[in-house]
Amino acid sequence: MFKKILIANRGEIALRVLAACKELGIRTVAIYSEADRHALHVRFADEAICIGPPRSADSYLNIPQVISAAEIADVDAIHPGYGFLSENANFAEVCEASHITFIGPSPSVIRIMGEKDRARAEMAAAGLPVIPGSPGIVPDEESAQQVAEEVGLPLMIKASEGGGGRGMRVVRAKRELIPAFQTARAEAEQAFGSPHVYMERLIEKPRHIEFQVLGDRHGNVMHLGERECSLQRRHQKVLEESPSTAIDEATRERVGTQVVEALRKIGYSSAGTVELLRDVSGELYFIEMNARIQVEHPVTEMVTGVDLVKSQIRVAAGERLADVVGTVEFRGHAIECRINAEDPETFRPSPGHITAFRVPGGPGVRVDTAAHADAVIPPYYDSLVAKLITHGRDRAEAIVRMEGALDGFVVEGIKTTIPLHKRILADPDFRAGKFDTHFLERLLAAEAK
Amino acid sequence: MAKKPKSESQADTDVRGVDLSEVKRLLAFMQENGLEEFEYERRGVHIRLKKALAQSAGTQPPAPLVEAVAAPAAPEGRERAAPTPADQHLIKSPIVGTFYAAPSPEAAPFVAVGARVEAGQVLCIIEAMKLMNEIESDVAGEVVQIFVENGHPVEYGEALFGIRATGKK
Repeated sequence: MFKKILIANRGEIALRVLAACKELGIRTVAIYSEADRHALHVRFADEAICIGPPRSADSYLNIPQVISAAEIADVDAIHPGYGFLSENANFAEVCEASHITFIGPSPSVIRIMGEKDRARAEMAAAGLPVIPGSPGIVPDEESAQQVAEEVGLPLMIKASEGGGGRGMRVVRAKRELIPAFQTARAEAEQAFGSPHVYMERLIEKPRHIEFQVLGDRHGNVMHLGERECSLQRRHQKVLEESPSTAIDEATRERVGTQVVEALRKIGYSSAGTVELLRDVSGELYFIEMNARIQVEHPVTEMVTGVDLVKSQIRVAAGERLADVVGTVEFRGHAIECRINAEDPETFRPSPGHITAFRVPGGPGVRVDTAAHADAVIPPYYDSLVAKLITHGRDRAEAIVRMEGALDGFVVEGIKTTIPLHKRILADPDFRAGKFDTHFLERLLAAEAK
Repeated sequence: MAKKPKSESQADTDVRGVDLSEVKRLLAFMQENGLEEFEYERRGVHIRLKKALAQSAGTQPPAPLVEAVAAPAAPEGRERAAPTPADQHLIKSPIVGTFYAAPSPEAAPFVAVGARVEAGQVLCIIEAMKLMNEIESDVAGEVVQIFVENGHPVEYGEALFGIRATGKK
């Protein structure tokens, strides 16, 4: 087992990793930027090293500084947390070259999963269903017709070099195909300098379902169930839960097995999350994989009783899955609300000085946070203030516990999204488990009227 | 104890002329109020007292959470340095690494206390990831303090040298 670990992160996830290290009897080294000089992860770690000025690029993302800190502190391993360098294959390689264990998958696997196209191709080859689409660029109208035949309708024509909604066209009827194909190409050429487009089935009213996985360094992979993450605003998750009301036992079994098989084939190790989209008919399609621990990992921890961060550390140290986790049992229901330092209506960031901070507790209530009374939320990093997680025997209990917990969570001095979460929980469709990835958009639009 | 510190009646700018009884009063104040760090400045006298912390966090009570709020722009460095007079320019480490006072183990140190240096002159080497980085002075002047020992690790922003600047930068 490692003797010393450097935590290459900050905020609540740095505290989370610190806690896991402490439980395993591992000494901790915190790194920090000048803006985080008084942060809790710095104060609670055994050692702390300042690595740069406030800007992430100059500090938390600065690979030479991070590695140098790891060397002078003589650590055995680095835990990258989430964000920052956690999915940087180059960083993972530098760690290896410096004889420091990177707590995560191998650099080559990180690289594969980091390239969206390549990840899709590898997972498809490994047997996971992917969203039906053209194999690559659709060169001409004849190919477009062919692809439309195979992929089915409705479909999306998307600019290969693009984004931001430009060079995209929805096709719902056969006669729309060619005009849409031509316009999309023209728009793509104009906006991105390349007319290259590809085609993909349009998943309407999708639900975002993700599977938590864990692999060891001996070729074993397992899944720990799914999380429902459809409640998003501008592609940022706001609330997550497990299990999903849209996934039954048979589907969990089937898809879980497919996911595990695919990951075993590519030699996946450490924690990771496979993201899928579920269409109205119940079909699940792979979209991408996050080869790291995720923000919403506590949701899975609450329903399985498995400590995912400790597990990451143990498998990185060479232990086998069977010894680290054994078999997984799912109990009850868990919900997580991400509480951000933002105006709950305009979503404008609200960094600043917290004047009052009271955290709820009691049975089935968990709070992961690096904030406290008199803390300053700096403007340089993400706006996450706290993760509030509740667990109950069933979804109804998890919801009522969350309502009580939100009522008992007091934060003053900055604005938070606590009121938004209360509105979500009160919504009849949410309570009925009826929603898709556009739910939050609709809720906010309805309130704006 | 109401003994007035002697230095109050003098315009004392010599940092070594600190009244010991005043320091003892400050230490007692720190003990009484459970403080670990205390800093103040008055009439050119700058005192900073810090309790040595044991490395093992296990036996240490948690640091008090209510603390002076750091301004987002350039908070004070957590220097292990002695107090610095107003005219002393600090050379701080721009990187994390290991401090070496000389160009090689057998060579003489780049500079010693009392040495005159020019702007751009190499003062030390900081080794990071097997690369030797030469750290240059950004002012001309006299080296009055060396804060780090040879072979010791340094963090970003840590004070390395104190230079009494003379003339133009």
